[in-house]
Amino acid sequence: MSHRTAPGRPARRRRARAAATALTAATALALTACAGPSVAGADGAGTAGDDAAAEAVDWSAVEPASEITWWSNHPGTSQEIEQELIDRFEEESGITVDLVTAGANYDEVAQRFQAASQTDELPDVVIASDVWWFRYHLNDQIMPLDDVLEFVEADADDFQPALYADYEYDDQHWAVPYARSTPLFYYNKDLWTAAGLPDRGPETWEELEQWDASLKPLVPAGGSTFGLSTGPSWGAWWFENMIWGQGGAYSDGFDLTLDTEEAVAGGQFLHDLFHEKGVATLSADDAMADFSSGLIASTIGSTGSLKGALDAASFEVGTAYLPDGPAGGGTPTGGTGLAIPSSKSPEQQLAAAMFLAFLTNTENTAYFSQNTGYMPVRTSAVESDTMTAVYAATPQFRTAVDQLADKARPQDDARVFIPGADALLNEAIERIVIEGTDPAEAFASIAPRIETAYAENVEPYL
Amino acid sequence: MTSVLTPGSSGPSGAPRGSATPASHHRAAAVPTAAPSDLTPSTSGPAHPAPGASAPTTPPANPTSSSPDREVQALHRGRLGARRRRRNVLWALLLAGPNLVLLLVFVYRPLLQSFYLSTLQWNLGSPVARPVGLGNYVEWFTAPTTGRVVTTTLVFTLATVGGAMVLGLGLALLLNRRLRGRGVARTVAFAPYVLSGFAVGILWLFMFDPRYGLVQELLGWVGVASPQWYTQRPWPLVMIVVVYLWKNLGYVALIYLAGLQSVPQDLKDAAALDGASSARTLRSIVLPLLTPTTFFLVVTMLLASLQSFDIIKAMTQGGPLGSTTTLMYSIYEESFVNGRAGYASAVATVLFLVLLAVTAVQMRFIQRKVHYA
Amino acid sequence: MSAVAPARPETAPATPAVLAPRPSGAPRARRRALQPGGYLALVLATVVLGAPLAWMVLASMKTPAELYTVPLQWLPGSVNLDNYAQAADSIPLGRLLLNSVGITVVGAGLKVALGLTCAYALVFLDFPFKKVVFGLVIATLMIPPQITIIPNYTLVASLGWLNTYQGILVPGLASAFGTFLFRQHFLTLPRSILEAAELDGAGHWRKLWRFVVPMSTPTLAAVALVSVVTEWNDYLWPFLVIDRPDKMTLPVGLTLLQNTDGMTNWGVLLAATVVVTLPILVVFLVLQRRLVAGLTAGAVTG
Repeated sequence: MSHRTAPGRPARRRRARAAATALTAATALALTACAGPSVAGADGAGTAGDDAAAEAVDWSAVEPASEITWWSNHPGTSQEIEQELIDRFEEESGITVDLVTAGANYDEVAQRFQAASQTDELPDVVIASDVWWFRYHLNDQIMPLDDVLEFVEADADDFQPALYADYEYDDQHWAVPYARSTPLFYYNKDLWTAAGLPDRGPETWEELEQWDASLKPLVPAGGSTFGLSTGPSWGAWWFENMIWGQGGAYSDGFDLTLDTEEAVAGGQFLHDLFHEKGVATLSADDAMADFSSGLIASTIGSTGSLKGALDAASFEVGTAYLPDGPAGGGTPTGGTGLAIPSSKSPEQQLAAAMFLAFLTNTENTAYFSQNTGYMPVRTSAVESDTMTAVYAATPQFRTAVDQLADKARPQDDARVFIPGADALLNEAIERIVIEGTDPAEAFASIAPRIETAYAENVEPYL
Repeated sequence: MTSVLTPGSSGPSGAPRGSATPASHHRAAAVPTAAPSDLTPSTSGPAHPAPGASAPTTPPANPTSSSPDREVQALHRGRLGARRRRRNVLWALLLAGPNLVLLLVFVYRPLLQSFYLSTLQWNLGSPVARPVGLGNYVEWFTAPTTGRVVTTTLVFTLATVGGAMVLGLGLALLLNRRLRGRGVARTVAFAPYVLSGFAVGILWLFMFDPRYGLVQELLGWVGVASPQWYTQRPWPLVMIVVVYLWKNLGYVALIYLAGLQSVPQDLKDAAALDGASSARTLRSIVLPLLTPTTFFLVVTMLLASLQSFDIIKAMTQGGPLGSTTTLMYSIYEESFVNGRAGYASAVATVLFLVLLAVTAVQMRFIQRKVHYA
Repeated sequence: MSAVAPARPETAPATPAVLAPRPSGAPRARRRALQPGGYLALVLATVVLGAPLAWMVLASMKTPAELYTVPLQWLPGSVNLDNYAQAADSIPLGRLLLNSVGITVVGAGLKVALGLTCAYALVFLDFPFKKVVFGLVIATLMIPPQITIIPNYTLVASLGWLNTYQGILVPGLASAFGTFLFRQHFLTLPRSILEAAELDGAGHWRKLWRFVVPMSTPTLAAVALVSVVTEWNDYLWPFLVIDRPDKMTLPVGLTLLQNTDGMTNWGVLLAATVVVTLPILVVFLVLQRRLVAGLTAGAVTG
């Protein structure tokens, strides 16, 4: 760099400099040694994980911690409700819970959780959504809950079977349901009436397409009969209904079926809905916001957005099952559960388990449900007086619960079990919706990547 | 390049800007002055290129500036030799030591470790990793998304650097004129530069809202329908470029303004005497004199643009469909969103090598420029 | 520019080129004709660059009804601080502000100090491997932050520094740019003064603080201001290191408000954005002369 070398003894200088550089490099390399993952050798299988299962903790000998941390994204804008539940818990048990906003959505919280896994900055309770809990499990980041739940008498049998079974793997449950949802068909009752349509959702997608003719004239400029938004942990969720409606699926077990005729038909249906038939438009930001403001007459939204929609809309909000396709239909479940990291001390874990049991007990899940729209996670809660009253006053809250019973179908393995698959599926959906890409092409572009993800991240651990 | 300038040539603050020995120029300009983030491990925003002072240097006040080293050495070697030298070393350790240690620990060590990590397949959050040699690099070079990332990066960089240079020069020329209110204009122009990139992104996201934003309103006045800025390619990229330009224009203009103000007035007068129009003067006299400034700006803006992150994170998060994912953003995405830390390190290494190449090219050019002048 | 020419009958002060006697007519007419164009361009530029900021402040005072309306409503109904209150409710705005201020002051201060001392050593001390040290310092300017993020993150995590102030501060403390600027400046300082001080028995410490620093105020200002701006606006690193709102800095806190689970409440979000940008804007406005002078001092001698 400097050209101002002193005259004379250039060779010695050069040698000295070389030595210094070498020394520095060595020091730096030495410093490199600390921090980082351990390299397990070419076969790649991790050695961790078995240890966790090996020792069964005697919970009766453990004293619960007095303070725990909860990472949440407050699904359904539930921050206040979560805080209220925390306060109730504190009163009952004396354990303080630190509620941390760890992200704006499920993905952000999960990413943060991943990044923090090697550290002791982990929470004691973390939300574990439908596409993330399994990745936590694969990385040995969360603990199995059956034993500890039994110890705190959480009455796991009372959980809605479908919702609790979602977190089952290897004969263990790795999370408890918390803010569980199904997608709903939301429709603007006022517009429906003005269009002379019956006060219900369309039974089939074809019916909606027929109704489009009557609705289109009534929708404000720039709006449409039906609107959707895409995004990770979202697009590939509601699309399951459409692909199932055409008789297809993302996968059969872990075998991808995106190239089948039926799957492509599902993609084609979506394509035509937006581009050929002009029934649907893409919401730039949030379809629920557009719906509540009256711009679009109907949309698919999570039942967790129900309370928000009821508050924001100036019209009467209608909810219905997702429509069927020619080959039937069905609805996925979604939302998030709660999990406990495996690296925390037994004291923390016990306290966390007590909190989980409390959060999801009959009374509290009912409270949560009526303030957000998420389904109560316990059968006893659904039948409780609180909820019965809610359902009587606002039947929209009931739609998801009924749909769960009537039309719920487990999500395709590819989406929930392969890390990164949801984002890739969403990419294909966005290409179809935003760019009008041919569905076969869109699916073909993501299938190999999903398969790589499977081979790298799932197969070695099965 | 500076031999045209003589001490005391016109310039608001005369003296310090007078002469600069070509030598110190060379070294000074040779340093690419990457983001003056002083190596905060994050990109401190889409553009904090080094302030101008770093390029051509504050010129030494006396022409013997190359001798202090020698003098000091003589002094030390002469009297109280060894003891003085030891004291010097101790002082050096005390004064320069902490900085050096911090650099070694938080810059060099991670650099080397990053090379090492790039040879692993490592899921961020997993306690184990698998060595894959150059597998990550191979994967990146052959991945179907890489072409798109590279193209996006190129487009973004060219648009932002080129646009900033042209618009910045134009603004500087404007500010150089004796127009009333130019002080205010200068302040307003420079203000966006000091703001948080993330905050600026949020603000402009609101401005670009297809339904309630100011942009679509203004476009409506001109009778143009607002494109779907958030979702319809290529508008999200256009949006990002516009915001980036808005944020950094003032900085470029300011540096150019300083340069313009040190163009000797007599040259311009001579040209005018010869009947040259102002446009001609600009082209044949001013611009060539500004070449070093231009070059400095190009390099710093290039480096900063390649490291741009905050605006993209605030506005599009790399989407839709990866159309605003630059190389920098893809590094973040791969490591902290997809959790592929090893792969991301490989991509980061590639970016590092690109920057290194840019710097090397720049150093070569500066050398030529210096000799040319 | 020194305009020595007598005042000409023009709308703007004469530009020096009019100094020389020239054939009147074409050139001067052109100049006169350009001025309104110049003013127009200047106004346009000012508006384009400044309007968004004004818009931000206006929008932060609007109610949702005033915001989500077509056609746009320009002014808020009243000076309404509800959005700010709501922002302060959702995120600990005061705490975030304190964090930002604290970290910026400490961080920038330390960076300046480190740059100062390192540059002093490089210029005024003779020690072995000095050139190597300088080379190392300067070379870091070529190393982009992205390549160091992941390892630094793991290091900070293993040190237990996640969610701590030192976790945010320390990795970025090393000063390369500041060192460089200071060094360049120190090289221009007159040796005689320092030698005289040394002969009077001043040690290095005294020389540094009593002599060198006072002679370096412009550079000091420039480095300090750049460090302040950088530190305040730093986003990615604090975002990664901190997840508890009580330790976050302001720009990171903004992310908390970007709730995708529902409508983006622009009013509240923009109110928070105002809080993020206002302090640094104020600093800038107050110190802009210094900042500009520092940034451009010697910037473009060519």
